[in-house]
Amino acid sequence: MSGVGPVEPGEGTRAWDIPGPGTPPEPSPEPPRGRLAQTYTRHRRVVLSIAAAAVLLAGGGYLYATRPEQAPPDPPPYPSQVVGITYLGPEPSPDNAPPKSFSIGVELTVQSGPQVTVLRITQPYAGLSLASVPRLPFRTRTGFPHKINITMQVTECAQVPTNAGLPFLDVTLRNMRAIQVHSFILGERYAHDLSEAVQGACSTNSATAPKR
Amino acid sequence: MRQRSLIAITAALAAGALTLTACGSRDDDGGGSSGDGGTTVVIGVDAPLTGDLSALGLGIKNSVDLATKQANKEKVVDGITFKIEALDDQAQPSSGQQNATKLVANKDVLGAVGPLNSSVAESMQKVFDDAKLVQVSPANTNPALTQGQNWNGGEKARPYKSYFRTATTDAIQGPYAAQYVYNDAKKTKAFVIDDKKTYGAGLAATFSDEYKKLGGKIVGTEHIDPETKDFSAVATKVKNSGADVVYYGGEYPQAGPLSKQIKAAGAKIPLVGGDGIYSADFISLAGASGAGDLATSVGAPVEELPSAKEFVANYKAAGYKDAYEAYGGYSYDSAWAIIQAVKKVVEDNNGELPDDARAKVTEAMQNVSFDGVTGKVSFDEFGDATNKQLTVYSVEGTDWSPVKSGTYEG
Repeated sequence: MSGVGPVEPGEGTRAWDIPGPGTPPEPSPEPPRGRLAQTYTRHRRVVLSIAAAAVLLAGGGYLYATRPEQAPPDPPPYPSQVVGITYLGPEPSPDNAPPKSFSIGVELTVQSGPQVTVLRITQPYAGLSLASVPRLPFRTRTGFPHKINITMQVTECAQVPTNAGLPFLDVTLRNMRAIQVHSFILGERYAHDLSEAVQGACSTNSATAPKR
Repeated sequence: MRQRSLIAITAALAAGALTLTACGSRDDDGGGSSGDGGTTVVIGVDAPLTGDLSALGLGIKNSVDLATKQANKEKVVDGITFKIEALDDQAQPSSGQQNATKLVANKDVLGAVGPLNSSVAESMQKVFDDAKLVQVSPANTNPALTQGQNWNGGEKARPYKSYFRTATTDAIQGPYAAQYVYNDAKKTKAFVIDDKKTYGAGLAATFSDEYKKLGGKIVGTEHIDPETKDFSAVATKVKNSGADVVYYGGEYPQAGPLSKQIKAAGAKIPLVGGDGIYSADFISLAGASGAGDLATSVGAPVEELPSAKEFVANYKAAGYKDAYEAYGGYSYDSAWAIIQAVKKVVEDNNGELPDDARAKVTEAMQNVSFDGVTGKVSFDEFGDATNKQLTVYSVEGTDWSPVKSGTYEG
């Protein structure tokens, strides 16, 4: 025997893929139970896409809602906090200065922040009037010193102290934040020079101004 | 296939977004711990923590505490953890001196903030100076503490190298008040009262000097006993003097009732004082008739200082029970000045405190310079603050309202 033929099915054996005559037909796959499930089955890809997009949207929304608070930009500083005024000393009075007048120089610097406008410069004594160059108002440049020449005229000697210890200039300043009147107390040298000038202007033999 | 890729990408993005969200929400946990191990440096605090002036004293203590916590949180000095030791001087010079001795005895103390009262400072200065322990007061305004007893005669001489202050002195405060009262408020007849203490008498003197120079008349002077609250006799004298303003050199526990009793006596005139009456407690003690009373205080109004914004927010967040009051910002800056001096000393010594740390810190203080709560903080040759601002406040309703500010530029 040289060849081996196909093995015949023996008793009790059968090919599994051929249903036997008495075998009931195999049930078809169980259909989905709910409507939702049926819909899911039919549109599975679409549903998954929508779900993923929803998750993404929710995550993004949460991120947006809990993002670090962007601090509002700091408002500019009050003008009085960035302006410095230094007393320079006596100055020659202009030729057209009125009698009983004298001049001094000060330097104003805006240290930082936006532009500051100098609106007004006054001094507190009733018997003194004040004029300044450059004319007011004037705009400053931050970081640059501005020299201001101030000429004061004694209008009533009885209304000016001759030895005030702490005289000052009241300067009205404006920037984007506020308008402020601020006192600049110029120190002992200014007090001394002011006293001397007032005494000179009010001495009995000074018919006219002790122009410096 | 394209749809599957889309889903995969979408899912990956979603997962990424959620991961990022999780990361972003973890911010708050970071930092906040005090230094771990390392060296502990103690900053002493001396102030009235009990008694009439405790509102100001507790504001000082809390503000120093906040500065040390902030320094630890930010690890300002590597390897150093700052702590405070707060002692109550009850506004008494003798207690202040005992406290100074106690702080000197603690070798971990490398600087002290305080006191509130100039009279207390007088009793502490030598104790600290002998130990080369730096002291920075946020509130003392008597000029003699830094410029010597003859400061007004043109002979300024610094008595103690270890004493510094961040507050402006009465050499400026009194005259500025006089200028405001005479020139702005147009009050020409003043009745001047003081409590005979270093601060009160000194301030009243600097006010009177300038007021007279300006042309004002002092129509009466009186001293009160700060231990009593019955000022009816003085109030009657004020009424009979014809004064149109009262200047009081002293503190709010007496100034409040004094204002009330002067008005009750029939003199409807403002009471003006210095930083010692600039407290919310003055307003409640003076009552409704205190409207229009005035006080000068050191510094610019806090809301005008951009640098103060963070301090105010941090103070609030720290949950202190008491307000920071008039000297909070100055106390914070005083403590921060000590911290900066310690930092300099440590950095100059290879990251460690030297054996003579106290002397070195005192030395370093002279050159400390930083942008603080109250502006630029540095000290002149006398130990006084170089930043000299002050403000006139008026009682409006239940608050002090700023009226005018000035800067000393001399």
